[in-house]
Formats: sequence, structure tokens, C-alpha cells
Amino acid sequence: MRAPSSLKQEFLRKWILGLQICSSSAKSMSISERKKAIKLSADIAMASARNGRTSWSRALIASASKDDNHGKLFVQQILGSDCERLTKISTSIKRLRCKKILKKSSGTIIRRRMKRIPDKAVASSIAKQMVNKRTQILKSLVPGGVFMDEVSLIEETLDYILSLRAQIDVMRSLADATEMMMSC
Amino acid sequence: MDMSDKDKFVLEKRNDNPMDYHSPNMSSDWQFSGANLANAALNLVPTGNPLGVGSSSCSSAPMVDSFNQTIWDHPTNSQSLGYCNIDAQHNASSSNALGIRKGSSASLRSCIDRPLDIGWNPASSMIKGGIFLPNAPGMFPQSLSQFPADSAFIERAARFSSFSGGNFCDMMNTFGTPEPTGLYSRGRGMMQGPQEVFAGNGLKSLSGGQSQKNEMNVAEVSKDASLSVEHGASDGSTLKNERKGESLVNSHGEAKQGVGGSGGDSDEAEFSGGGGQDEPSAVEGTGGEPSAKGLSSKKRKRNGQDIEFDQAKGGQSSGEAAKDNTENQRKGDHKPSSTGNKSAGKQGKQGSQTSDPPKEEYIHVRARRGQATNSHSLAERVRREKISERMKFLQDLVPGCSKVTGKAVMLDEIINYVQSLQRQVEFLSMKLATVNPRLDFNIEELLAKDVLQSRAGPSSTLGFSPDMPLVYPPVHQSQAGLMHGALPGMGNPSDILRRTINSQLTPMTGGFKEPSQVANVWEDELHNVVQMSYGTSAPSDSQDVNGSTPPGHMKVEL
Repeated sequence: MRAPSSLKQEFLRKWILGLQICSSSAKSMSISERKKAIKLSADIAMASARNGRTSWSRALIASASKDDNHGKLFVQQILGSDCERLTKISTSIKRLRCKKILKKSSGTIIRRRMKRIPDKAVASSIAKQMVNKRTQILKSLVPGGVFMDEVSLIEETLDYILSLRAQIDVMRSLADATEMMMSC
Repeated sequence: MDMSDKDKFVLEKRNDNPMDYHSPNMSSDWQFSGANLANAALNLVPTGNPLGVGSSSCSSAPMVDSFNQTIWDHPTNSQSLGYCNIDAQHNASSSNALGIRKGSSASLRSCIDRPLDIGWNPASSMIKGGIFLPNAPGMFPQSLSQFPADSAFIERAARFSSFSGGNFCDMMNTFGTPEPTGLYSRGRGMMQGPQEVFAGNGLKSLSGGQSQKNEMNVAEVSKDASLSVEHGASDGSTLKNERKGESLVNSHGEAKQGVGGSGGDSDEAEFSGGGGQDEPSAVEGTGGEPSAKGLSSKKRKRNGQDIEFDQAKGGQSSGEAAKDNTENQRKGDHKPSSTGNKSAGKQGKQGSQTSDPPKEEYIHVRARRGQATNSHSLAERVRREKISERMKFLQDLVPGCSKVTGKAVMLDEIINYVQSLQRQVEFLSMKLATVNPRLDFNIEELLAKDVLQSRAGPSSTLGFSPDMPLVYPPVHQSQAGLMHGALPGMGNPSDILRRTINSQLTPMTGGFKEPSQVANVWEDELHNVVQMSYGTSAPSDSQDVNGSTPPGHMKVEL
């Protein structure tokens, strides 16, 4: 596992970079806008902290770079030199996987329904369906999860959970610190 | 005299004369009507007796008819069989199942000049009929009670039963009681119960030695009996006789004995008969061998022990088959299940090597977990292991997952956790947005940056905002690691300090805005820590930190 402290520090650094972009912009944003900007910058910072090693981070960056809002800016600023490289990788992989998975999912579903399943196997098939359902949900949660197979999905989920935790910790501490700063 | 009447009846039957007995007419009527007896079975007309009985029996007749017909395709002595049927019927009605069987079988046996015979079969078949049609047995006693001949019949039946050397009696007795246990144990545990039962009975029978016809007959009968397969299987196997015809009738009788016992017979029969006699045995593991033996001994007379042994084995195989069949039958089709069962059984038992993909190919394959044989399943197995490995990691990561087993539930937990984390991120970003109207974190950022970098650990624990009920325990690893990275000198003491601060703050603060004192203290703490981080790290520092804390606010609880 990567050192969580280094992860957090890196995340924080990058995040602040992104936030600085926001603060530097002259326009005044509403709360929701700010929130979005904050969140986006945080996510991108988190993803960049992975340096493109994990697929979810790449997917996140790819989706962000397509965003009209501050996404591109963030990506550029935060990633710096790696920006172009990573975005290229992310987008290309995404497209390929997308098609593959769509084909796969449609075929298997139909085949399964055509088969006659005995009662004995109904239970197992129901269990499988349950698992598949939840896997689909998980795929929708994890950025870029739609394109992954089950094995890698679990890996990515692991990494994603860790990153989220670190992100939350840092954000919380920042929020608290600023809050206290503000209050006193 | 009743006895004389009985004899007369037999003779008359042979002579195609209508029976003089009224009593047996009723019960035997439906039996005979269906049978292919050359005699005047049809001549029998229920006389005066409660037509209800007759009707009930008649209603049951069709079913039994087909049954009987098959049974008596090769009756050794149709007349005698008919007579025995009558007796059986009569006896059955007059007494409980056991008694009925006893008497009927005994009478039948006696009729057919074979002590070890099939005589049993018709009796059992009739019994089956009785059991098969719950109405009938209940009805019989009513009708029969009217006949004084009952006692005579019973006596005769008893006498006949003794002919068989008590085998039938024993058989009946044993089957009467341990049937359920023996059968089920057979069905499940593969034969220990039935073996005992069989051994106890010392019954002579061919374990696998059912003729093809017998199989067919049994198959027909077995269709109706699903759960009783096991039951019937044990019965059938134990009660199989050496004679072909006998076996035919026997198997029928036996199978029907337990409700649907024929299922077991069919299993056995099909198992043994289907696919060649040697095939199933070869295919099966332990079950295969005995069945092969049973098959080979199809038409041989054996002593009791051999038969018992074969029966036991055959029972085993049939039990297995019965089990398969039962399970399959329970699921759905009877017909295909029997065949599918065999193939499934063969496949499944073949070295117990079935894997998921082949299982799906067979419609009625019983789920058998075994080692994978083909590459397809191997790959799947590898993949599954990988997934389970990773799931274990996730179990450690996601709180509350250690107790949970099963993919679906675990995935549920993971999904919930990820969702909660994402929601937290949203919330925190919203919070930051509200705190910072202009998103300018610069000044504070610098300070906070240092602070957070140096003390992101404690700050994270301090940031235990009560606003968000966190389900998961704090990430000790990350905190510890972070602390370690930030303050190399401060190991446990800082953690303890943090924890104490945290513990102090959480009950005190409904939010962080309340006590500025606490905030000040906290800031002091931070500053101290920052200084320490910049300075040399030493355990004494932690003590300084501890000492610097105002006693009122923070107590160092070690």
C-alpha cells in the first residue's frame, strides 16, 4: 500500500493548486459553484496523486478534462507536464472498453434468459444475478468502472476507497482548520 | 367356511367362475379390473357392500389398473395373483398398512407357490394402491368390517406370511418402522441405514436385477412418486426377488409401498438398465460397482447375505440415483430427470469432477462441487480465487465486513461504503465552499498547509465532526503513517495526544465553533507540533507538548 501520509500530502498540494486557480479567478461564484469547483479540484488532485497508475484515476481525469467548467484548467494546472499524456491514455482506453463492454453485456443477458434453468440451479442463478446487479452498481460508483472486468474492478475499488479516505481526511482537516481560522 | 370359500374362490377363479365372496369383491374388484388376468376378474361385482368403498376403489382402480396391468404382464399365476390380491386387499383394509402388507404379501406368496416370491409384489402393489389412493385404505375397513371372513383371512394371511420364513414379516416390520429413517439415510448418507435394514431382513432380492420391463413398470410408477423415491428405492431394492416376474411385481409392489417408492425402483432400474448394465457401475464411483454386481446377479438366486449385500449396494447406487432423482424430480420433470439424473449422476459422480460450465449444460444436473477438469472451468476457478482474494482485502478495508460472508452482501457493504465516502466528500466540499466565500485559502492555506502536512494526522482525528456520523472507525493506518511521516520523532505519544485531544473535543464540541478556547488550545498544539516538526524530533518534545496543554482543557490521558 502506498504511504497514506505521502498520499495525503501530495493530494493536498495539488488540491491547493487547483483551489488557487479558483481563487485567482475574478468571478464570484455561488455556493454550489464553489462546491463543485472544490470537489472537482479535489477529485482531480486525488486522481493525479496516483499518477495514472490506476484506471479509475485515469477515467476521472479523462472525464474532467472533457468538462467545460474548470475541469480542463484544473487538469492542466494540477497535472502539469503529465497532463497531456494522461489525458490521452485515459480517453483512448475509455472508448475501446466502452464498446467492448456494451457488446458483452447485451449478449450474455439474452443467452441467460434463453436457457432453461432447473429449480436446483435457480438459487445459484438468483445469487449470480444478485451479485451481478451489485457489481453493476459498484461499477457505476467507481469512476471508470464500467469498463473494467470484475477482478480489476475490485482492485480499483480498493484503491478508490483508500484515495477517498485520504481525500476526506485532508478535506476535513482543511475545512476544520479554515473554520477555526474563520471563527476565531 | 371362509377358508373353504377361499379355496373355492381360487378354484373358481381358475375356472372363470365368479367369486362367491362378497367381501373380497369390493377390494379386489378394482384390482382385478385393471389386471390382465385371464380370469373373470371382470366378473367380480361389488355386491351389496358400501358402494363408497367400491367407488373409491374404483376411482383408484384406473391408476392401479395401469399399475396392475404392468405388474401382471407376466404373472406367474394370474389367478393366484388375483386371489392374492383379494387377500391383500382384504387384509389391507382390515388392518394397518403393516398388517396389510404382511397379510397380503403372505397370502400372495402362499398363493404363488414360491416362498420367496413375488407374491409380495401384488400385495405391495395393492398396498401401493392403497397408499397411493388415500381414500381406499380408509374406506376398506368399513366395508370389510362387515365381513366375518376377515378373521379367517387374517389367519390365513398370517399363516401364509409364515411361509416366507418370516422374511416378509421381518421385512414388513422393519420397513414399517425404520423405513423413513433408513430411507432417508439412504437417500442422504448413502446407504448406511438401508444397509442395516436390509441386512436385518436378510431379504433375498436382486439388487440391480430388475428386468427391463420391471424398469419400465417402475418408471411408470415412479413418475408419480417424487419424494418417496428414496423410500421406494430402499423398499424396492430390498424386496427384489430373483424371479423376473417376481421382480417385476416386487419392484412394483415395493416401490409403491412407500409412497412413490417406485421412484427409487425406477432409479435403480433405470440406473442399472439404462446405458448398459456395466456402464453405470463403471461410471459411478462406489455406487457403480455394486450396481454392476447387482446387474450381473440379475437372474441368479442368491443366499440371503449376498442378496443383502447386493441390495445394500444396489440400494446405495439406487439411493444415489434416487437421491439424484428425488432432487431432480422435486425440481420439475420426472421423465427427463430420470434420464438426466443418470447422466448427471454419472457425470457428477465420475470422479466427482463437475465444474460450473458443464453443470449448466445439463438441465437436471444436481449441483456437485468438485474439482475442475477442463480448462474452461479451471480458468474460471482461478478467476474466482482472484476475486475472493481481493474481496478479503476489501473486507479488511470496509468496516463491518468481517462477519459477512457471500459476495452479494459484501458487495452491498462495499457499495454502501463507497457511497458514504463519496457523500462525505460532497459534504466537505460544500462545507469548504460555505466557509470560504472566495475560495481563498491562501494565507490560511499556507499555515494550514504546514500544519496539515505536519499534523494531518491529529487534525484528522480532531476533525471528527459530530455532524457526520461516521460509520467507519478512523483510519489508524493512515493516521499513524501520516504522523510518522510528519513527525518522525513522535510515535505513540503524539498518537495518544491526538486521541486525548480528540476525545476531549468530541464530547465538548457540538461543532468546532463553540469553544474558542479549545480552538486556541488546538492551535497552540498545532503550533507546538509544527515547531517540533521543524525542530529535532525527540520524545521530550511530546512531553513538552503535553506540558504545554492547559490543564483545564486537555488532560493527557495515557
